[in-house]
Amino acid sequence: MNLAESPKLEDFGHDVWWIILIKVVGIFAFLVVMTLFTIWYERKVVGRMQHRPGPNRVGPIGLLQSLADGLKLAFKEDIMPKLADKAVFFIAPVISTVCAFTAFSIMPLGGMVSIFGERTPLQLTDLPVAVLLVLACGGLGIYGIVLGGWASGSTYPLLGGLRSAAQMISYEVAMGLSIVAVFMTAGSMSTSEIVAAQANGSQQEIFGSTVTLPGWYFLMLLPSFLIYFISAVGETNRAPFDLPEAESELVGGFHTEYSSLKFALFFLAEYINMVTVSALCTTLFLGGWRAPAPITTWWAGANEGWWPLLWFTVKVLILLFVFVWLRGTLPRLRYDQFMRFGWKVLVPINLVWILLVAGVRVAANADNTVRYAIYGGFAVLLVGIIMFWPAKKQVEPASIAPEKLPEGSFPIPPMDLVVPPSPRTKRIEHAAAAPSATPEQGE
Amino acid sequence: MCGVDYLGSYRLLGLLLILGAAFFTVAFTANRLLSRRAPSAGKNATYECGIDPVGGDWAQAQVRYYVYAYLYVLFAVESVFLFPWAVTYALDGFGMVTVVEMAIFVAVLALGLLYAWRKRVLSWT
Amino acid sequence: MSTVLALAGEVTTGEAATFYILAPIALIGAIGMVWARNAVHSALFLVLTMLSLGVFYILQAGPFIGMVQIIVYTGAIMMLFLFVLMLIGRDASDSLIETLRGQRTVALLLGIGFAGLLCTGLGRAVGSMTSVGLDEANAAGNTQGIARDLFTKYVFAFEVTSALLITAAVGAMLLAHVEKVKAEKVTQLEMMRARFAPGNYPAPKPGPGVFAATNSVAAPGLLPDRTVAGRSLSALVPTRELTEAEAAPKGTEK
Repeated sequence: MNLAESPKLEDFGHDVWWIILIKVVGIFAFLVVMTLFTIWYERKVVGRMQHRPGPNRVGPIGLLQSLADGLKLAFKEDIMPKLADKAVFFIAPVISTVCAFTAFSIMPLGGMVSIFGERTPLQLTDLPVAVLLVLACGGLGIYGIVLGGWASGSTYPLLGGLRSAAQMISYEVAMGLSIVAVFMTAGSMSTSEIVAAQANGSQQEIFGSTVTLPGWYFLMLLPSFLIYFISAVGETNRAPFDLPEAESELVGGFHTEYSSLKFALFFLAEYINMVTVSALCTTLFLGGWRAPAPITTWWAGANEGWWPLLWFTVKVLILLFVFVWLRGTLPRLRYDQFMRFGWKVLVPINLVWILLVAGVRVAANADNTVRYAIYGGFAVLLVGIIMFWPAKKQVEPASIAPEKLPEGSFPIPPMDLVVPPSPRTKRIEHAAAAPSATPEQGE
Repeated sequence: MCGVDYLGSYRLLGLLLILGAAFFTVAFTANRLLSRRAPSAGKNATYECGIDPVGGDWAQAQVRYYVYAYLYVLFAVESVFLFPWAVTYALDGFGMVTVVEMAIFVAVLALGLLYAWRKRVLSWT
Repeated sequence: MSTVLALAGEVTTGEAATFYILAPIALIGAIGMVWARNAVHSALFLVLTMLSLGVFYILQAGPFIGMVQIIVYTGAIMMLFLFVLMLIGRDASDSLIETLRGQRTVALLLGIGFAGLLCTGLGRAVGSMTSVGLDEANAAGNTQGIARDLFTKYVFAFEVTSALLITAAVGAMLLAHVEKVKAEKVTQLEMMRARFAPGNYPAPKPGPGVFAATNSVAAPGLLPDRTVAGRSLSALVPTRELTEAEAAPKGTEK
C-alpha cells in the first residue's frame, strides 16, 4: 500500500489563511449535515425496525425532515424559567456545543488532497496529543450537562444532570483507559499517525510463531475496541444507557427546562458527540480513512485524493447504525447495574488488558528466560484470580409460609392461597365422560 | 525550528473557537429577532408535570455521587500517567523495567479500588 | 516524532497576542472566584482560570502538560468541586458579615504585600535569565521527553504518587460511605409486614365526593359553607366566568 499520501505531523499548521477558513467552515458544515442526516437516519432505521416507514413527508424520502424540525425548534420562543440562574443557564448549552465541535477538529477525514492547487491534509489540524484533546473536550462537555441541570432551578433537571454527570465521568474513565492500548500499539497520540500505523498489517510473534495480523486495531485489540464502544454509548447518553433522560423517572433529565435554541444546542451537541465518538472509533480501531482491504487490492487509487472522505463517512455511518440498532433493540438498564458494569467490569478488565498487551509486546523482544517469566507471571495471576474469585452467594428464597399477623392488622389474603377448581372444568369433564357416570357426578 | 510552526496547529483550534463564538452570536441574535414571544407567568414557572410547583427547587444530591467524582479524579490521574507510558514503553531505553514500574503503579491503585470494593463503597445503595 | 517546537527565548506575535488575551481572563477568573457570592459561580470562575493556565502551558511548548491540566484540573477536580457544591445546596451563598473588625483591610494589605514580595522575588530571579534547553528537552517529542524523565529519573516519586493518590481516595470514599449494618437492611418481607401492621392504612385515601360536577383544574374547591377555597385555585390558570350561552344546557344531556 502506498504511504506517500499519508500526512505527517509536520504537514499541519502551515496552511494559507483561506485554506484554513475553508477547512474550519467545512468542519462546521460536515458536522451540522451529519447531525441532520443522523437524526433522519435514526428515525428511519428505528421506524423500519418497528415496521413503520419513519419520516417521509418533507423532501425526498423525508430527508429534509430534521432540517425542518431544527429550524422550527431554533426559532421558537425562548423561555427562561423564573428560578433559573440566568448566566449559567445560558452558558451550559454553549459549553456543550463548543466542546462537541472542538473535539471533532482533529479527526483525519483523509490523506493529502489539493484544494485549488494547495496540497494540504484533509484534516483541520493534528497535534502530538490529539486524542487527549478529544478526552479533554469530553471532560469539559460534562460541565454543560451538570450546569444545565443545576441552573434550571428545578428538581428533575438537577437529578438528571447529576446522574448524567456521574454516568459520563464513569464511562469517560473506561474510554480513556481503552484508548491506552491503541497508544501502546501505535506509539503515538496523534490521530494521523495512528491511522498511518494501521495502514499495514503487522508482524506479530505469538508464542514463538510469526503471523501477519491485519492492520486495523479492532482485530488486534478486540477487548479495547469493545470497551471503547460500550463506553462510547455510555458517554453519549444513548440507549440502553440513556438513564439521564429516563422519561419515566426524570421527565427529560437535565434539559427539562430548556426550550428553543438552547434546547436545540443540547440536541446538536448530543448528536455531534455521537458522530465524534464514532469518528474516533473509526480512527483508532477501524483504520481511519483508509479503504477496507478488498477494495484496495483491485483498486490502487482508492486511498488517493478525496475518496478517503467517502470511506471515512461510510465507516462512521456503519457505527452510527450500531448506535441506532442498540437503541431499537435493548431496554434501558437500571442505574446501579449500569454503574456496577462500568466500575467493576470495564475498568478492571481494561487495566489487566493494558498490562497484558505491554507484557506480550515486551516479551516478544526479550530473551527466552524473561519471556517465560512473563508468561509464567500471567499464568500465576490468572490462577490466582480464578482461585480467589468470590463465590456467588446462595440466596435463600423468602418463605411465603402463612404467618400470623398481629391483631388489628389490615386484613390480607393468606399467602398460600390455592385457586379452587373452576366449576366450569367440572362441567366440561362431565360432558366428555357423559356416557359413563363418574363418582364426581354425585357431588 | 521556529515558533510559528509549532503554534500553527493550535492556531487553528483558536480560530475554530472564534468561529464558534460567531456562530452562537448569530444564532442567538436570529432567535431573538425572529421568534414570536408571548410571555406569561405560567411559562416561566418550574416544570412540574402539570401541577403547581411546591416548595424549593433544590433537592439534596446523594453523597454516593461524590464517591464517583472522587474515583474519576483518581483514574484521570492514573490515565494521565498511563498515556506517556503507553507511547514510550516500547522505545529504546525503556522496556521491561518500565512495564514493571507501571505494573506496580497500577497494582497499588487496584489494591485501593479492591479495598473500596470489599467495603461495598462501589455498590449503589 | 519530531515536532517543530518554539525556539527558546523568542516570543512570536501569536504567542504574545494569546498571552495578552488570556492573561487578563485568567486574572478575572481568579478575582471572580473570590468575589462571586454563589459557590457554583466561584467554581466556574476557577474553571476559567484553570483553562487559561492549560492554554498557557500549550503556548510554552508543553502540549502534554497543557492537556493534562485541562483533563485533570479543569475536568476531574473541578467536577469533584461541583459535586460537593451540589451536596451543599444552591442557595448557600456567602454571608458578608465581618466577624473580625477590620479583617478585610488587613487581609487586603497583607495580600498586596505578599504579591509585591512574590513579584519582585520572581522578577529578580528569572527576569534577566535566558532560557535554554527547550529544544533538547522536546527533541524526541514533548510527551516522550516527559516519559523519559518520569520513568527513569523520578520513578520513585511516580510510585509514591500512586500510594498517595489511593490513600487520599480511599480515605475520602470511606468518609463519605456509611456501611450498612446487616440488621439495618430492610427486606421486602419486612416492609410488607410494616405496611399491613396495625395503625397503618395501606389502601388509598377516600376520593372526593361523588357529587362533584366537574374535575376541571379551573373549578375551585368549595369549603363546607360553599365559599371558594382560595388555595385550590391555580395561580397560573386564569379564572374565567362562563357566559350565559356557555352555561346554558347544550341539549346533549337527555
